[in-house]
Amino acid sequence: MALSSTSETVAGSKPAASRGLTTRRREMIAGYLFVAPDALGLLIFVGLPMLLSLGVSVFDVDGFGSFEFVGLANYQKMLVDPLFWSSLRVTVQFAVMLVPLLYVVGLGLALLVQRTSKVNTVLRAMFFAPQMISLVVVALVFQLMVVDKLGVLPRSLSFLGVGGLSLLGNPSLALFTVTVAAVWFLMGFYMLIFLGGLQDIPREYYEAARIDGAGRAQSFWNITLPLLRPTSFFVLIVSTVAAVTGAQAFDLVYVMTKGGPANSTSLLISYIYQQAFQYSAFGYASAIATLLVVLLLVITVFFYLITKGGRFQYD
Amino acid sequence: MTDTAAPTLPASRMRLDTVGVVWLLVACILALMAIFPLLYMLSIAFKGPTDVFKPDLIPPRPTLDNFVYVLTEVPFWRYLINTFIVSAVVTVLALFFHTMAGYALARLRFPGRETLFLAMFSTFLVSLPVIIVPLFILVRALGFLNTWQGLIIPAIFNAFGIFLLRQYYLSLPRELEEAAIIDGAGYWRIYWSVILPLSRPIIAALAILFFLANWNGFLWPLTVASDQGLWLVQVAIANFKNQYSASWNYTMAASTIVALPMLILFLVFQRQIMDSIKTSGLKG
Amino acid sequence: MSLKTNLPAGWSRRSLLKGGAALGAGLAAAPLLGRSAFAQDTTLDFWQFYAPDGEVKSQVDWFVKMVDDYNATMDPKVKLTYVVNTEYMNGTKLATSFASGQGPDIFIISPGDFLRYYNGGVLADLTPHIDAAAQADFPETVIANRMVDGKIYGIPMEVEPMAFYYSVKAFEDAGLNENDVPQSWDQLLELGQKLTNADRYGLLFETNPGYYQNFTWYPFMWQGGGEFQTAEGKSAYDSPATVGALKLWQDAVNSGAAPRQVLGGGGGDIVANLGSGYCAIQNVGIWGISAMDNNAPDVPYGIFKLPVPTGGKYVTVGGGWAFVANSKGKNPEAAAKFIAWALASMDPGSVQRVVDWCTVAKSDMPPRNSALEAGKEAFNKGNLAKFANDIHPGTRAEPRVPPEVYKIISDSIQAAMLGGTDPQAAATAASQQLDAFLASYTGAPLL
Repeated sequence: MALSSTSETVAGSKPAASRGLTTRRREMIAGYLFVAPDALGLLIFVGLPMLLSLGVSVFDVDGFGSFEFVGLANYQKMLVDPLFWSSLRVTVQFAVMLVPLLYVVGLGLALLVQRTSKVNTVLRAMFFAPQMISLVVVALVFQLMVVDKLGVLPRSLSFLGVGGLSLLGNPSLALFTVTVAAVWFLMGFYMLIFLGGLQDIPREYYEAARIDGAGRAQSFWNITLPLLRPTSFFVLIVSTVAAVTGAQAFDLVYVMTKGGPANSTSLLISYIYQQAFQYSAFGYASAIATLLVVLLLVITVFFYLITKGGRFQYD
Repeated sequence: MTDTAAPTLPASRMRLDTVGVVWLLVACILALMAIFPLLYMLSIAFKGPTDVFKPDLIPPRPTLDNFVYVLTEVPFWRYLINTFIVSAVVTVLALFFHTMAGYALARLRFPGRETLFLAMFSTFLVSLPVIIVPLFILVRALGFLNTWQGLIIPAIFNAFGIFLLRQYYLSLPRELEEAAIIDGAGYWRIYWSVILPLSRPIIAALAILFFLANWNGFLWPLTVASDQGLWLVQVAIANFKNQYSASWNYTMAASTIVALPMLILFLVFQRQIMDSIKTSGLKG
Repeated sequence: MSLKTNLPAGWSRRSLLKGGAALGAGLAAAPLLGRSAFAQDTTLDFWQFYAPDGEVKSQVDWFVKMVDDYNATMDPKVKLTYVVNTEYMNGTKLATSFASGQGPDIFIISPGDFLRYYNGGVLADLTPHIDAAAQADFPETVIANRMVDGKIYGIPMEVEPMAFYYSVKAFEDAGLNENDVPQSWDQLLELGQKLTNADRYGLLFETNPGYYQNFTWYPFMWQGGGEFQTAEGKSAYDSPATVGALKLWQDAVNSGAAPRQVLGGGGGDIVANLGSGYCAIQNVGIWGISAMDNNAPDVPYGIFKLPVPTGGKYVTVGGGWAFVANSKGKNPEAAAKFIAWALASMDPGSVQRVVDWCTVAKSDMPPRNSALEAGKEAFNKGNLAKFANDIHPGTRAEPRVPPEVYKIISDSIQAAMLGGTDPQAAATAASQQLDAFLASYTGAPLL
């Protein structure tokens, strides 16, 4: 009833059937138009460079304007380049340290402050505060704190009996120190994600468990963790991508260690950067970058399929 | 505390309180450790050059000299203004475009929608250092080097915001929109008068996040704007360390100045920010 | 709620289209706006990290005066563009500019970078603009690493030998004086350990990987008679001299005398390290004199030349940046003319300019015999005299190598010094990589 009356009041109204088509088409057009600016922008400023990167990767570019088509030579060079493999290894090491640490710290902090209270509000803000300063400043402050002998951290460590450690100068420790800086920076963000997930778990489950005599640990393993699965997925995937692309690590390494000592913090992303800007080997750098992009695309697709169209429902 | 419940209840409640207090203490200690580096930065900012490595957290002879130096000897005001302009413009434009795109991807039906979303989302994983060389070449070809456009335009397009907004719109109840459609409102009208007002909480939070991300941006401004007149604050700080050697106190003073606006914004808006992040990623 | 379907819809579509058109127009117009910022002019752009925004006034003045004097009578004019030194050396600005064909017309390079630019074909030949007398005025050791096939591609502005600086106070506290400076490597290590305490390291070498670290390490290899390539172009890196040099740096760190991390701008930053009391002895170059005098005037210091290993011969390395012209720039001829006029003319003004740079703006050794002669009074004063008489004789020019070779050598130093790798193993591995690279290398010769 309402529909037909509307069709009569609309100026220049069309019969019901074609009005349905027009509505559909209008929706389509609106859809495209609404998406257009972002789609175009992403296409031009992300998609196009990605394609360009692929294009440049089959050339040998000397950084001064001359280039020569070399087909897959850059990719072959990658396979036998020990520095490529070592930076890949460092990236994997970084991811293997960062992802579990972020998960545990994020979840741990969320569990600590999950109850709503004034104190917890303040504590949450304190844990989130590191996100407010830039990575450059994080790197500078950390660097200052770990200066050999004189910095606050080495001094405290000596005081506790563990003297003589060089946190950024020792190849076995440098990557860990960078990871700690990254965790410190990111933990507040992941804490919030977990808080959101925890709050979705109905209180009744816990009460029922308590009535049944379950202890804290049991509640945790049998209620909390399983119901946190969608959140866990989100956290794991997002932090893995962050680790592999090295978005945070790049800034930290650039300021703190420049890839040293002895290449122990030389991530794939730093290697790409180095090849492009210190060696002027833009072709080779693009080849490595393309490989990284392909890797990430695979992860995206995997992620998308696992979460069934990005809706994060766990059946 | 009178209670008629079984005798075990008060005992268990007391046990919970003790445990609760212990956890609270742990949380407080961790929180202090979490903000320690920030306190450290503040403390060095007020110290004179010879006191930098002295172990005391409270400067023995606190001085404002470092701040004075940073603000007068270096055109830091200029950098702060530059960064503010860039961050504000990017935030406004980004919110505008992303809400439109998010709404379309969540609610409007058109062929290729899901593929388009996947394609757009996949760019989320491409971080700047991976595309910096071709992006630089592209920006140069467009004539955007050392210009405001070069600083602003590439920074607008980031799939993360689109993703969050789409999630948000997916979870909005359809009734209001459906009512508007039945009333015959056009899609732009729906977007403007129905969707946007409903998005206020998430827009507020995203505004802060985008502003923050641009305020703290480093690599892109470093690459595209080498003219000192167009420097943004993080670039200035990074160069500070190298230009004014042995001047940890200056660097920390500069860092404090730069971090301060964001910290204040955060303190004021923390509820909105944190609430939005909490609810954005997960509602199906 | 209004029920008018068509009007709002039409309005919305139109406004969207309008908005889109505006955006498109804006994007299209932007290149024009952008390009107007790059006025099409003939001014030669001179990129360096000294002026006009540099920190040291005397250096700024030198550059500004030079350019003003040139612009007073010559065309096209020269303009100074300041790039912060770390951005210049480690950043993206130069690489991205050259990659996109927008490199500067005149700029400065270090010997370490020479081959990358030469092999890339962007260095203009300066020889036609320099007369024979001037060419002879530059000693072979100084100019050789900027020459290829007898042609000059860069004019050095300075020679910066490396030495050791020590804190007088640290010495006095340990009951030592200037007669106790070490003469041998063993003495150096011993002294370094002696001067190490809870708040300070005794000895400091550069730890950050980079061209600078390689540069400071080379003389230690040379002192033992080592080289990185033979006359036939094969690797000579695997030698006792190399191993000894790597071991020296490794021992310094392992014994706790030398830090694994340096402060401030790196090992070349004397004020942040020696000046702040972080170390007692620092391996740094001649520029340390003016740096300390200007920025840490309250810290008394002494200088001694590099100690030698047993059976070794004294040699030190001399760095020094050079002016070069971009052969793909606006006007390479004019750029070359400027460089020749500024630094490589027998005109007394040019010679004096070199003297002024080395004695007033900085404390450096001059790259030209005539300048050494003209400024001999200044070169015989104070700490500069120590360099002129004691340290500089025996200076060998910084090697020029392509980035791949730089990396091979850098990795071996890093591995031995910080990674704990056995020096012999590091040397052998590097040598094999060096051989592999040299076998297929076709650019200008390494020196």
